[in-house]
Amino acid sequence: MKGASYSINSEKSEIRNNRNFFKSELLSPFNWKSKATMNLKKYSFLLLLAFTACIDPYVVEVEQGAQLLTVEGLITSVPKVHQIRLTRSDTYGSVFQGLIRPVTGATVIIRDNLGNVTFFAENAVDRGAYDSPASFAGIIGRSYTLQIQTIEGRVYTSLPERIESAPPIKELTYQVVKIAVEGEINPRSGVQLIASIDDPADQNNFYFWRNDPSVYVLKTSPELFTPRPSDSNPSRDPQPKDCCSTCYRTELVGNQGIFLAQDDNFNGLNTKIAAGFIEDDGLRFIQNYRVDLRQISISQAAYRFLRLVKQQTEISGSVFDPPPANIKGNMISLDDPEEVVLGYFMAGGEQGKRIYINGADLDFRQNVSIIPDDCRVVEGASINPPIDWNP
Amino acid sequence: MKKIILLIFLLTSQLSFAQTTVSREVVGRDIGQLKGIKISGRIIDEITGEALVGATVTIPELDINRITDTNGAFDLTLDRAEYNLIFRYVGYETVNYPITAVGDGRISVRMIQEDFQLDDVVIFGRDPEKNIRSTDMGAITLSMNSIKELPPFLGEVDIIRSMATLPGVSQVGEASAGLNVRGGGADQNLIQFAGAPIYNPSHLFGLFTSFNAEIVNDVTLYKSVIPSRFGGRGSSILDITPKAGSVAKWGGDLMVSNYSGKVGFNGPLVKDKISVRGGFRGSYINWFLGALSNPDLKNSQANFYDGNLVISAPINEKNEFTYSYYTSYDDFAFASDTTISWKNNSHSLNWKSQVSDKLSFDILGYYTQYDYSIFNRSGINDFDLNSGIKDFGFKGYVSYLFKEGNRITLGADTKQLTLQPGELIPAGAEQDILPKKVQDEYGRESGFHFQHEFEIGEKFGMSYGLRYDTYQYYGPRVVRQYEENKPISDGSAIGETTYADGETIQTYDGLGPRGSMRYSFSKNSSVKVGYNKMYQFIHLISNTATIAPTDVWKLSDEFLKPQIVDQLSLGYYQNFKGNIFETSVEVYYKDIQNVVEYKDGANLILQNNLETELVPAQGKAYGVELYVKKNLGRLTGWVSYTYSRSLRRVLTPYEEDNINDGEWFASNFDKPHDLTLIGNYKVSTNTSVSATFGYSTGRPVTYPEAKFDYSGNSLAYFNRRNEQRLPDFHRLDLAVNFKLKGNAKFFEGDWTFSVLNVYGRKNPFSLFFVDESGQPPQALRLAILGVPLPSLSYSIKF
Repeated sequence: MKGASYSINSEKSEIRNNRNFFKSELLSPFNWKSKATMNLKKYSFLLLLAFTACIDPYVVEVEQGAQLLTVEGLITSVPKVHQIRLTRSDTYGSVFQGLIRPVTGATVIIRDNLGNVTFFAENAVDRGAYDSPASFAGIIGRSYTLQIQTIEGRVYTSLPERIESAPPIKELTYQVVKIAVEGEINPRSGVQLIASIDDPADQNNFYFWRNDPSVYVLKTSPELFTPRPSDSNPSRDPQPKDCCSTCYRTELVGNQGIFLAQDDNFNGLNTKIAAGFIEDDGLRFIQNYRVDLRQISISQAAYRFLRLVKQQTEISGSVFDPPPANIKGNMISLDDPEEVVLGYFMAGGEQGKRIYINGADLDFRQNVSIIPDDCRVVEGASINPPIDWNP
Repeated sequence: MKKIILLIFLLTSQLSFAQTTVSREVVGRDIGQLKGIKISGRIIDEITGEALVGATVTIPELDINRITDTNGAFDLTLDRAEYNLIFRYVGYETVNYPITAVGDGRISVRMIQEDFQLDDVVIFGRDPEKNIRSTDMGAITLSMNSIKELPPFLGEVDIIRSMATLPGVSQVGEASAGLNVRGGGADQNLIQFAGAPIYNPSHLFGLFTSFNAEIVNDVTLYKSVIPSRFGGRGSSILDITPKAGSVAKWGGDLMVSNYSGKVGFNGPLVKDKISVRGGFRGSYINWFLGALSNPDLKNSQANFYDGNLVISAPINEKNEFTYSYYTSYDDFAFASDTTISWKNNSHSLNWKSQVSDKLSFDILGYYTQYDYSIFNRSGINDFDLNSGIKDFGFKGYVSYLFKEGNRITLGADTKQLTLQPGELIPAGAEQDILPKKVQDEYGRESGFHFQHEFEIGEKFGMSYGLRYDTYQYYGPRVVRQYEENKPISDGSAIGETTYADGETIQTYDGLGPRGSMRYSFSKNSSVKVGYNKMYQFIHLISNTATIAPTDVWKLSDEFLKPQIVDQLSLGYYQNFKGNIFETSVEVYYKDIQNVVEYKDGANLILQNNLETELVPAQGKAYGVELYVKKNLGRLTGWVSYTYSRSLRRVLTPYEEDNINDGEWFASNFDKPHDLTLIGNYKVSTNTSVSATFGYSTGRPVTYPEAKFDYSGNSLAYFNRRNEQRLPDFHRLDLAVNFKLKGNAKFFEGDWTFSVLNVYGRKNPFSLFFVDESGQPPQALRLAILGVPLPSLSYSIKF
C-alpha cells in the first residue's frame, strides 16, 4: 500500500497527563468513578503550590525481577470463546529491563464442582492465550477451578470461584466528561457510560464492567491524500483517492480504568453507576458510536483483587496514597506452596447492554481529526457495517 | 576562642541603646593609695537577683574590657582616677557607672532588662542553667520570640515545623503536619492548645500549621520523661500556651504576606483586672486560584482561617482565670464537584491559684471538637460524608512546695470521648445511594497522678512519679465475634453482641511510672537518666504515611489494644562559656506495643469492622541525639544531629497476616541520619538574617520486585515493605528580617523576605510506580517543593 498507515492509539488511551492527587477511593467510598473522570480532580492539592511542586521520572535501580507465573482469566455465563492468558512477570521497568513473555505449551483446563472438565486450547496466533470452545458458558450456581500444567510439568490450581447471577443493566446512558489539561486551551473529553441497575436486595453483589469491541463510523478525507514525495512521484500536491471516506471501524477500547462497584452502599436500590469511559479522539464521535457493555458479577475475593489493581493504577504519589500493596491472587502452586503465582482466575454471571451514541447529541466534542487517506487503511476499518448495525 | 567571644560581645553590646547613668560614686576607703587599687564587683539582674554571666565591663579611659564570670563577678586593678565604667549585657539596658577609685573596694551593679525587642537575641529564658540543673529530661521550651527567628514557611513562622528542627523530632515530608518524635507515629503526640487537645492542627492538608504565632506565648515539647500530669499519648506532649493580652493598654498587630493575612488586638477589658487578646488569620489563595487561566485551577477553591480569643482575669495576685478559644477551618473544592472541609473548635477555662507561698493548684476544663466532611455533588450518587471527634475533659492538680527544689504534685483528670467515624448521607434528588453510618464510639479515659521532685545537696536531684490510667469503652454498640484461632476477617465472623447505652464493653488500665535522676558534676555539667511508661487509648487509622485530613481516629476496643510505650533515656549536658553554649547528648531506647498496622490494601473508609483490616504490630526505636546551641550573641542558633531507627514488626499466628515474614522492618518515617543547622545573625540593630539547613536520610519506600500484566495494565508486584529508600533529603532556607522601631509617629514594622529551598532541590516526597500510556512502566517522584519558593510578609504592631 502506498502512503502512510495510520494507527489510532486505542489501547491505554488513558488521560493521565496530570495526576489525581487525591485517591478516588478516599473521595468516593464507592468505585463508581473511572480513572479518567477522577483525573478531573487531579493535582488539586498541588495547585496551591502550583509553581513549586513537580512530578518527574526518577531512575531507580531495581533488582532482577522474578519470573512468576501470571494468570489472567475470566469465564462468564455467556456462551462464547473465553480466554485464559498465561505470562511470566519480569524485572520492573521498560521492555529492555524485562520482557513479559507468554507461557506457551501449557495444559489448561477448567473443572466445575460436578467434575465436568473443559479444555482450553492455545491460540495459534496469540501465544500464551488459551481459548475455550465457542460454545462454552459457565453455569450460574456452579463453582469453577482453573488448573494449569506448564510445559516444565509444574502444576497450578485456582481456588474455586462460584458463578453468581448478574442483574441486568436496566438502562445504559452516558454523559460527556471534560478533562482540563494543564497548559492546553482545549480540554480533553470523553463519554462516560452510566449503568442503571436494580440491585437485588437479597444478595451481596460485586460488579465489574468491561467493554466488548465497539464499532463506529469513521470519516476520513481521501481527497486530501498526499503521498510522501519520491523520485518517481516528486509532487507535493494532494493526489485524491477515489475511495473511501466512510468506514465502520471495530476497536477494543482497552483499559480505560477499572470499573467496579459493590452494593454495600446501594443494596436493593435502583442506582446509577459510572461503568465505562471512552475518550473522544476526534474520530469516534463524528457520527455513531456503538458500545457493548458487559456487566459481570464477581466474587468478593475477586472484587478485592481488582480493587487493589485499580488502586495501584490510580496511585499518584500523594500524601494520601496508601502504601503499595501486595496484590494477592487466587492461584496456588501444587508443587511448592511457597511459590508466588500472580493474577486471578474469575468466574461470573454476565449481562450485556448495547448503546449507540450519536455524536451530534454530545454537548461537547473534540475538533475533528483529519485522516487524509482512504478510511480502509485504518486498522479494524471496513466499508461494510456489521450485520446488526442498527443505530 | 575567648577573643572571638569577646568580639561577639563587643559587637552585640552595641545593640543596646537604652542607657542608665548613675551619679559618680567614690569607691574604696581612701588611704592615699595611688596605684594597684583593686576593685571587685558583681552584676545582677535588678528583678530576679540572678548573676549576669558574661556581661561586659568597659573602661573607656583605659580601653579595657572585662567579662563577668559565672557568678557575675569581675575584678579590676586601677590607678587612682575618675573612670566612666560601662556595663553592657545583651537584652539589658546599658549602665554608665562613673566612679572615682580611691582605694580597694567593691561595687554592686543592678541591670534592668530591656523591653523584649532585644530579647530576640536571647534564646534562653531567665534560667540559663535550667538544662543542667533541672531533673526534667527531654523537655524543650521554645519561646515565640525564638521561633520567630527561624525562616518562615509561606510568610509565617510555623510552630510544628519549628519543632521538627529539634533533635529526635522529624516530619515525614514537606506536606505533612504530623510530627514523629523519637520513632513514634504522628498520632502519638498530644498537641494541646491552652490545655485542650487539638486533633488536626493543619491548614491546606498539612502545608502549614493552624496556630497563629501572635497568640502563642511559648511551646514546650516533652519527648523523653513526660511529667505524670500528662498522659494518653505514647511519644510526646506538645504544650502550647496562649499569650494573655495587656491589662494596661490597647494594642494590635497586622500582618500581610503573599499567601495569607492576619489581624490581632489586645488590651484591658477592665483595666488592671481583665485582659483580652484576639487574633484572626485567613488566606486569600482562593482569589489567587481564580486568577489562574487553567480551567481546573480556576474553578478550584481553597479557604482557610483560624481565630483565637484569650480572656485572662488575674483577679488578684493569687488567682487567675483564663478562658481560651481556638478555631480553625479549611475547605477545598475540586475543579468540579467535591469539597473537603475540616474544622477544629476548642474552649478551655483555667483557674490557677497560689493559695500560699507553698501551696498552689491548677484546674482546667475543656471541650474540643474536630469535624471533617466530604461533599460530593457530581450528579451521580451525591452524598455528604461526615466524621468527627468530641472530647470533653477536666483536669486538676495541687502542688506543694516544701522548699526550693522539693515539690509534690498530685492530681487527676478525666475525659469523655465521642467519635463519629463516618456517616454517609445521600444528597441527590434521586434515591440512588443508601445512607450509611459507622457506629459511633464512646470512651472514657481517666488518670490519677503523683510526682515528687527533690534535691539532695547541689549534686543530686530526682523526680519520680506514677500515673494510673484507666479506660472504659462503652455502648451503645454492636460488636462482632470471630472464630477463635482464625485471623479476624469478614469470613471468620460468627455472631454479634449488642451492648446497651452506657454498658461497658471493654476496660483497660495500667500503671505508668516515670522517673528521672540527675547528678551534677559541676554547675555546668550533669548527667541524667530517665524512664517512662505511657498508655494510649486512641489511634489514628490512616493508611497513609502521614496525617491526612481524611484520616479517622479509633478508640481502643476488645480487638485494638492500647498502645504501650516504654522509654529509657540517658543524657549528658554541658554548658560552656557561661551558658552561651549549651550542649547535650541523649540516647534512648523505646519499646512500643500494639501499634496499628494495616493489611495489604486495607479498606478503611466507612468501615464498620475495622478489626478486619488491621493487624497488631510491635515497634521499637532507638537513637542518639546531639545538640549544640548558642544562646546569645550576634549569631545564635543550634545544630542538632540524630542517629535513630524506628522499626516495626508484624508477627501473628497467621502467616497471611504477617508483613515481611514477621521480621522487623523500617517504619514509614525511619530516617537514620537527621541533621539540622539553624543560625540567626544580627546584621544590625534592626536587620537579621536567618538560615535553616536540614539533611536526612531518605525515608523508606517499597520497590516492585517484578512487573506483570493484568487487564492491559503493567502492574508492579510488591512483596516486602519498606526495604529501599528515597534519595536523601536536604534543603536550605534563608530569610531576611528588617525591623522598624516604633516611635510616636510610626508603628513598629517588620519586613520578612524568605526563600525556601534556596537551591531548588527536588526532594522527593514520594516515589511511585505507574504504567503510563505510551511509556514504559516507570518510577516517578513527587517533589512538594521542587523550586525555590519566595515569600514576603509585612507586619506591624500598634
